[in-house]
Amino acid sequence: MATNRSLSRPHGRTDLKKEIWRNRYFYLMLLLPMAFFIIFKYLPLYGLQLAFKEYMLNKGITGSPWIGFDHFKRMTVEPEFFVAFKNTIIISLYRIIFGFPVPIILALMINEVYFNRFRRFTQTILTFPHFLSWVIVSGLVLNMFGDSGVIKKLVALYSPEMATNWNMLYSKASFRSFLIITDIWKEAGWGTIIYLAAIAGIDPSYYEAATIDGCNRLQKVWHITIPGIMGIIVIQLLLRVGWVMEAGFDQIFNLYTPPVYPVADILDTYVYRITFGRGVSMDMGFPTAVGLFKNVINFALIMTANAIARRAGHDGII
Amino acid sequence: MADATHKSSLDIKVPKRNRIRRFSIGDAILIIIMSLLSLSVILPFYNAVLVSMVPQTVYVRSPLLLWPKEVIWDNYRFIFDFRLIWYGIGNSVFITVAGTLYSMLLTVLCAYALTKDIPGRRFVRFLIVFTMYFSGGIIPYFLIINGLGLTNSLWSMILPTGINVFYMLIVSNFFTGIPPSLEESAKIDGAGDFTILIRIILPLSLPILATFALYYAVDKWNEWWHGLLFIRKVEKQPLQLILRQIIQDAQFLSQQLLPGQEKPDVYGDSIKMAAVVVTMFPIMMLYPFLQRYFLSGLTLGAVKE
Repeated sequence: MATNRSLSRPHGRTDLKKEIWRNRYFYLMLLLPMAFFIIFKYLPLYGLQLAFKEYMLNKGITGSPWIGFDHFKRMTVEPEFFVAFKNTIIISLYRIIFGFPVPIILALMINEVYFNRFRRFTQTILTFPHFLSWVIVSGLVLNMFGDSGVIKKLVALYSPEMATNWNMLYSKASFRSFLIITDIWKEAGWGTIIYLAAIAGIDPSYYEAATIDGCNRLQKVWHITIPGIMGIIVIQLLLRVGWVMEAGFDQIFNLYTPPVYPVADILDTYVYRITFGRGVSMDMGFPTAVGLFKNVINFALIMTANAIARRAGHDGII
Repeated sequence: MADATHKSSLDIKVPKRNRIRRFSIGDAILIIIMSLLSLSVILPFYNAVLVSMVPQTVYVRSPLLLWPKEVIWDNYRFIFDFRLIWYGIGNSVFITVAGTLYSMLLTVLCAYALTKDIPGRRFVRFLIVFTMYFSGGIIPYFLIINGLGLTNSLWSMILPTGINVFYMLIVSNFFTGIPPSLEESAKIDGAGDFTILIRIILPLSLPILATFALYYAVDKWNEWWHGLLFIRKVEKQPLQLILRQIIQDAQFLSQQLLPGQEKPDVYGDSIKMAAVVVTMFPIMMLYPFLQRYFLSGLTLGAVKE
């Protein structure tokens, strides 16, 4: 290993050439993957120049004329853009406030379950919906919360009046709650895995010492388990906040309808809607600019979150 | 895995938790809560299966359906008579199989090459990780793939989704943990780099490869977004996208019926739920048997403590 290291720090051009030749098969292995990244990840970055151009179909990305910051100026006067920007932040914050603690609480509860088999069973059940697409889950929940759905029928047993005014899917007042609840239903179980792994990593001798000192179970959870996973919780929260601009395109796109656009349209759905929603539009410049606006903020936030996480001694990449 | 073998030499068998604990009232309450939560996850699936097996008229009229009074298969018969379902299944199977092979090939090659201390490695790694955090957004993505002529081709749902960087980094991390002495001894025996990868590294990594092949397969089966962007012809759409239209667009089914095919009187929620059940069937069937792989992915690389 040590000799390898010194070889890989070449002193001259011939050494470097030799080194590259010696490793030629590794470069060959990288050929296909790099072609993939260049074509499907970096060519679109080249296309970002459309944010500063007037897109013309016959002239393509490169040939279309530059127009400076016109698209960005248009954003400041486009009311729908503002609504989408605001909704992106609000929905993400709701998800963090109401959704983030759920997997932690669930993990603490799952961990305390007395029977091993039952613990595995609940974990398996709760994790399952994560592996379904939002198209499938939208089918399940639109039916349940819809007009002839089981939720409305349950409500009718309790209060017929509430049921006649049932409007969960199309009401501006309740749609965001609907989003948060269905998201928790789908993802909370999956979210417990990382916390359960962290709990499993806590030194068992702490629990033994606490037992000898006469701690009851709640006290052990409070004084050992929670402090033991606090590091992971903080990092997860930090990264979650870093991704605040990703407010859940897949979910919202499959669940929302025009009546709730004012409360549920986020930047991603807005860009899709104005470009592909009413037949393919030819105005590619403005939506590109909106996308760029979102991605720049996104990037800055994630980098900040990662930097803080790294400073706290964690590998920020994940 | 490498980590685990490392630890085992120092391992003193300590019971994980004090198991000589009596079953208390708190345990009972916890089991009740967890049962209710599990039930709340199961119920939407039960509801979907239930709705798909009763006539639409019965479903709408009954105040609360908990058990089917009579089971009918008409909804499933209708779904399987609907020609687009078969196109959708065919397309999705093709995308899943071809896409998983393609993704695994790229992922393994990339992950292995990145474990080597070759000139330019840091730069390549930076280029790859950067794509996790910054993208061109949907419009340039659409124009580029459109410009490559992939529109209306099944490859538009395979080629652009080659490497999931997150998965790739975890696999790469795992490769790093394989003792280098194994590779060195193979090298002394005259094995080339590709031979080492295929004969030494891959066989040692089967569980993690299986896990990520499964994740890729699930991702491809669930693919609808690329189809939405790039596939205009309904015959080329993946199953998920066909399902999406059945759910969202009340006119879709009747517009897509073959001439002479009769529109059923059971049309509505029951048909939709039958389509949902058909679409999630493969994942539901695999999940109980491959649980271990489904649940292990995140912990393989994420938590290093």
